[in-house]
Amino acid sequence: MDEWEREESNRAGMLEKLADAAEKLPRWSVYTLITLLTALLTIVLRSYAEELEIVNVALIYLFPVLLSAVYAGLAPAIYSAGASVLALDFFFVPPALSFTVADLRYLISFAVYLSAAGLTASLSGRLRQQLIRSRQREEHTALLYAFSRQIGSVADAASLLDGLSRRLAQTIGAEAAMYIPDDAGELRSVREPARPDGPRAREESVVVRLVYEHGEEAGRGTQTLRELPERYMPLRAEGRIYGVLAVKFRDSGTAAGGSAEGTGLSRERERLLEALCGLAAAAIARFRLAEEAKLAHLTAESEKLRTAILDSVSHELRTPLATIVGSATGLIESDGLFTPQDRMELLETIRGGAMRMNRLVQNLLGMVRLESGMLRLRRDWCDVQDLVGVALAQTKDFRGGRKLRISIPDDIPMVRGDEVLLEQMLGNVIGNAIKYSPDGSGIVVEASARGGRLVLSVSDEGPGIPAADEQRIFEKFYRSDSTRHVSGTGLGLAICKGIVDLHGGTISASSRRSSAPPEQIGADGEGGGPQCGSAEGPIGPRGTGGAGTVVTIVLPLEDSPSNRAEIVPGVEANPGESTEKEE
Amino acid sequence: MTNEPGAGARILVVDDEPQIRKLLKVTLSAHGYAVQEAETGEEGVLQASLNHPELIVLDLGLPDLTGMEVLGRIREWSGVPVIVLTAKDREEDKIAALDAGADDYVTKPFGMGELVARIRVALRHTAKVEGEPVIRSGGLSIDLAQRVVELNGERVKLTPTEYEMLKMLASHAGKVVTQRQLLRQVWGDRHDEGDSHYLRIYIGHLRKKLEEDPSQPRLIVTEPGVGYRFLTQD
Repeated sequence: MDEWEREESNRAGMLEKLADAAEKLPRWSVYTLITLLTALLTIVLRSYAEELEIVNVALIYLFPVLLSAVYAGLAPAIYSAGASVLALDFFFVPPALSFTVADLRYLISFAVYLSAAGLTASLSGRLRQQLIRSRQREEHTALLYAFSRQIGSVADAASLLDGLSRRLAQTIGAEAAMYIPDDAGELRSVREPARPDGPRAREESVVVRLVYEHGEEAGRGTQTLRELPERYMPLRAEGRIYGVLAVKFRDSGTAAGGSAEGTGLSRERERLLEALCGLAAAAIARFRLAEEAKLAHLTAESEKLRTAILDSVSHELRTPLATIVGSATGLIESDGLFTPQDRMELLETIRGGAMRMNRLVQNLLGMVRLESGMLRLRRDWCDVQDLVGVALAQTKDFRGGRKLRISIPDDIPMVRGDEVLLEQMLGNVIGNAIKYSPDGSGIVVEASARGGRLVLSVSDEGPGIPAADEQRIFEKFYRSDSTRHVSGTGLGLAICKGIVDLHGGTISASSRRSSAPPEQIGADGEGGGPQCGSAEGPIGPRGTGGAGTVVTIVLPLEDSPSNRAEIVPGVEANPGESTEKEE
Repeated sequence: MTNEPGAGARILVVDDEPQIRKLLKVTLSAHGYAVQEAETGEEGVLQASLNHPELIVLDLGLPDLTGMEVLGRIREWSGVPVIVLTAKDREEDKIAALDAGADDYVTKPFGMGELVARIRVALRHTAKVEGEPVIRSGGLSIDLAQRVVELNGERVKLTPTEYEMLKMLASHAGKVVTQRQLLRQVWGDRHDEGDSHYLRIYIGHLRKKLEEDPSQPRLIVTEPGVGYRFLTQD
């Protein structure tokens, strides 16, 4: 009997179980059992010899023959027939206790025994074979069904194929490995990426490559390299080969492959393997196509982005360059034409253009550093008042007549972060507020600590942003259509977001739809206490058009020594005390 | 410019970019300084030892030696004021140069006014005009001998630590003082990195007591990532 059949048959049925039990016994014990049974029968029949006709005895001896035919197969049945005939002849056919065949009629019984044995054995064998085959077919169908369902649901090809080769190994009792080409075109096993090197592995990789390139099966049971212990099958779908399936049989000799064609593979398994190869190929093809579609999409996106970058950067670089070159050449070539005021104006144009280029270059470099991951945070305690102060100083030169209002509570805790980057971030946000709001309008910078977070907000009275752009303005190179007329690269806020992200915080923007001034602003615009920031003018609704934008930055606050200087040894309590000098 | 301390001083410019050298030569000469140039670090070190300039403007990004090496070699034998030129976002370089003995820094691109102001401050400090017992800036006066601080004629009450910090900053008026320098001055060698937290608290206190608008300080300005600078307003 075939080994795999033995393995496979674990299903219901008393008869099955008995047959299994018989098959699982070693050959010699089956024969011993038959011998014992015949002997036992002989002893029992001998004790009733007077009451029984010889015909009855002959019929009863058919029993072990039939039994062994059903449960043990042909050879034991023939053996049983022989044993039964011999026992009948020896013990019951007169003269008893001798083999002399006095009555040749008993040869007919022997022939009947033999034919009954042969017929029963082949019938039951065929039945069993059919049962096993149908069960196997059911199992294969279930496997294929499960796999084809999985194709749709698993996220990456490798894990799907790995699962498949595992299941395959269980079902057919052979080691299975899938080889698919990696990015470099190298064929790799999906399961064991690090195979031990050696002549065997190298040989295998050569065969795998051969199968992959020619699309022909190889190895055991095929026309090519049939001496190999494995079977290599190409994974083919729609005329393309996506990989190779290698099946390594546990019984390395062909001798055990008792089933058809001498390939070590039953037709059922062969069919299963072929179906699986097809499915696996389809699965890989599906993943490949999805990937290609994604890549194509990405390429198109990045193409679009690149065009946008080029447009925006070249415009942003050329404009100040044009003013610089124009003004400088004007001054050099026709110096005499200009009044001192003209000359000063041209010089200021040059300076302004250069400053603008400087800002652009800084933003570009900042973006590169953020994206390359080279930006290292130098974390330290930062005084929020100081952060805002430096950010305001950065934007001083182009603030114009905008009225600034700063509201920072005295007891605001320090935040841990990179001082320079946070200042740059705040400077960018405030700079944006300046850029997108009319001269003379108000800008409010507020800070507060709420629930372990520092909330910084910068509000302006500009046109606000369309709701659809609230997220997108933090994307690199994105410019809102509503502000196309204002020059810019779309880098500033992207950098801000990068910096805030690095600090584990969030940044968001929204329009102030109501025309009311931002909340938390005291009614007395001008009279703000000096410790509470300054007010350079009243902030309020400015006509109906100005919705204004609020950019909110939320940073996590760490547990800090905070502003509790007095509890720290060596640091004296602050207010009220005078220096020793004043006595 | 004639009564300016250090007027007519010899300044050595060490920079590999000819355009920057030319710019510095023209503008600094116009301000009355005698400018010498060096193209490489080696040449800079050599010129510094041969010509004994009164101030050195040193680019930190040189092709042969690093600016830091040049600074170190000059500092081995000379205390000549050195102002380093750095890129904007290299705070580590600035701090390293200041710790290695540079007197101040200017970030590229710089306005000429800024550089000249730094040069003046550096030259003034070497001219040892420290005798001045009272430092004034705008409405603020600090009487170092009496340890009295007055703002617009009114006495300001400062704690000893605040006073020490103000004194340290004001006696280096116009010059950057790194956080480490401040910490060492006020807390001695016992200070550790964590103390920068308290430094910020005291700076905040000082600003609240002295500045008109603490969020837009004019006296004690922050040099981002480096330290603080006390500005004198005349």
